[in-house]
Amino acid sequence: MAEVSHGIGGLKFDASKRTWPNELNIFAALVLIILVFEALGALLLGQSLLFDSAGRFDSIFNEARLYIIILQVSIVGIIAIGVTQVIILGGIDLSSGSIVGATAMIAMSFAQTELVNGNPNPKAIFGPTLMDLPVIIPIMVGLSCGLFAGLVNGMLIAYTRIPPFIATLGMMVTARGVAKWWSKGQPISFPTQDYAVIGNGLGGWMPVVIFIALAILFQFILKYTVYGKHTYAIGSNEEAARMSGIKVARHKVLVYTIAGSLAAIAALVLSSKNLTAQAGMGIMYELDAIAMAVIGGVSLSGGRGSIIGTVLGALIFGVIISGFTFLRLDAYYQEMVKGGIIVGAVVLDQWRQRPSASRS
Amino acid sequence: MKKTILGAAVAVLMSTAAHAENIGVTMALFDDNFLTVLRNGIQDLADGMDGVDVQIEDAQNDVAKQLDQINNFIASGVDAIVVNPVDTSATQAMSAAAEAAGVPLVYVNREPINVDTLPNNQAFVASNEVESGTLQTLEVCRLLKEAGKTEADIYVMMGELSNQAAVQRTKDIHDVMASGNCGVTLNIVDEQTANWSRDEAQDLMTNWLSTGTQFDAVISNNDEMAIGAIQALKANGISMADVIVGGIDATQDALVAMQAGDLDVTVFQDAHGQGSGALDAALKLAKGEDVDQKVYIPFQLVTPQNIDNFLSKN
Repeated sequence: MAEVSHGIGGLKFDASKRTWPNELNIFAALVLIILVFEALGALLLGQSLLFDSAGRFDSIFNEARLYIIILQVSIVGIIAIGVTQVIILGGIDLSSGSIVGATAMIAMSFAQTELVNGNPNPKAIFGPTLMDLPVIIPIMVGLSCGLFAGLVNGMLIAYTRIPPFIATLGMMVTARGVAKWWSKGQPISFPTQDYAVIGNGLGGWMPVVIFIALAILFQFILKYTVYGKHTYAIGSNEEAARMSGIKVARHKVLVYTIAGSLAAIAALVLSSKNLTAQAGMGIMYELDAIAMAVIGGVSLSGGRGSIIGTVLGALIFGVIISGFTFLRLDAYYQEMVKGGIIVGAVVLDQWRQRPSASRS
Repeated sequence: MKKTILGAAVAVLMSTAAHAENIGVTMALFDDNFLTVLRNGIQDLADGMDGVDVQIEDAQNDVAKQLDQINNFIASGVDAIVVNPVDTSATQAMSAAAEAAGVPLVYVNREPINVDTLPNNQAFVASNEVESGTLQTLEVCRLLKEAGKTEADIYVMMGELSNQAAVQRTKDIHDVMASGNCGVTLNIVDEQTANWSRDEAQDLMTNWLSTGTQFDAVISNNDEMAIGAIQALKANGISMADVIVGGIDATQDALVAMQAGDLDVTVFQDAHGQGSGALDAALKLAKGEDVDQKVYIPFQLVTPQNIDNFLSKN
């Protein structure tokens, strides 16, 4: 599929004639940001960000830092996999952070353990009959919450034709309301051992493994299945997609439902990792997820982007957060610099994508 | 003129014994553990009294929404208003609105910027934040000294940087260090924010651990972040006997962590007491009684030795 975009001065630019894939640009931006942190680290602290400069590990890398860089973006990364598909479809999803909050609260209340250190669970939501349930129950309850929220999003967008921004904004407010109402603002803590595995298993690598497994799965689905081709087709030109026989409305419902379910998976991992669910969980996650996708080269006008790009976007986020702590940058400056880097990465990407003629 | 009418109205109201007091309450946000306990303190006291109706609104961390709620309370003729301010520097307009309408107003938990210039029928009920960080830091000092240290490296986890409690509790740590009361020389390795959040604190602690720097204690502005730090420390195989972790709030989760031997210090802020204290002050003001303009509910240090006194409080 050759994408044609209009360059400056009426020049047309054929994406298929580009010498390398877009993901390489994102990767280059990632490497550039790492190099900046490495240079500053060497200059200011005499330490390396990624490499084992102090000889604490058996490998040449600082393994602890590689781990936290990816761990701290895994949960939002899972959401970003869904958000990426929604944006490629030409939509937007503002509700994912709130779906995380509501799902975490509801799922966690089915995952509680009856005794904590030999005392009754001080945060018990249900009576003893609904305590210590098999882990599959909170998982299924959680997934159903996300699936249902996504389904509602999709139906609203596909059949009432209200803009995705508004439909998912409504869900964002509603789902946050559900999260607060569920336990009247009280946090829900102390899950069963089995539930704790979802976010802490495999020596703490479980969130990363789930994120990467889902990323690989959806990269494959988007690239090689009819589902993926239809998603790109609708995002590129919805009218043309309809003309060529794609069931646009049904497909939209499917994509938003998948996005909602992915937000639910993120909620399960998040609440398990923290051993608690709180009504405020997931606030702003939707914007971080959108930022990851956009940094990763997903076009907000639809039809362009990939999961690999989003994963790279997530890694850029992770490197920035860890890099700040590494440099001991004053907490007051961090957000300002982070905002600048987000915009900078996208500007760089846009500039790389312009046809060479317009770069003067 | 307004005042005479109001005075007459009050006289009429007070003469009717069956009159219900209507109190409007606006909370900064509902989805916060501590503020929920505070809110329950208000509700529980009201439920236990005859003829007191409270209407509690959620300002959703929005300053403008909160002022609107106050004006709505005034418009619907409540007897007094309790405000848990979203932003402590935006309280001037709230005080002015209530004063103009002659409705008593009580600020709770967060100190309003105009606390020293409050009109007669307004008050402030809270705990003195200077106590919390000071109690916490001094106990951490004591534990470090007990472990035979003369010098100790510490990490400091701050709450939201825009929040007065986070700023004050962090300042308390520095003040104790400067005052010489600590008995141990504290060196702050790094001081970062985890926005009160357990999840962010886990990530921050893991980031700190990845630098490989040795340290003796983590002092956190609240319990949620302290628990996040503990989870990260344990995940990295660090024995909790080797690190002193201090929080503030004495939440249920924190007390369980303390019983498990993970959390060493926390400070109990009586949220329930603040809530009931605020409602009590509001009711007194509504009846025209005198109330201290600053009512302080004391902080209390919680350690494994006295934890049993606090298990059922929050």
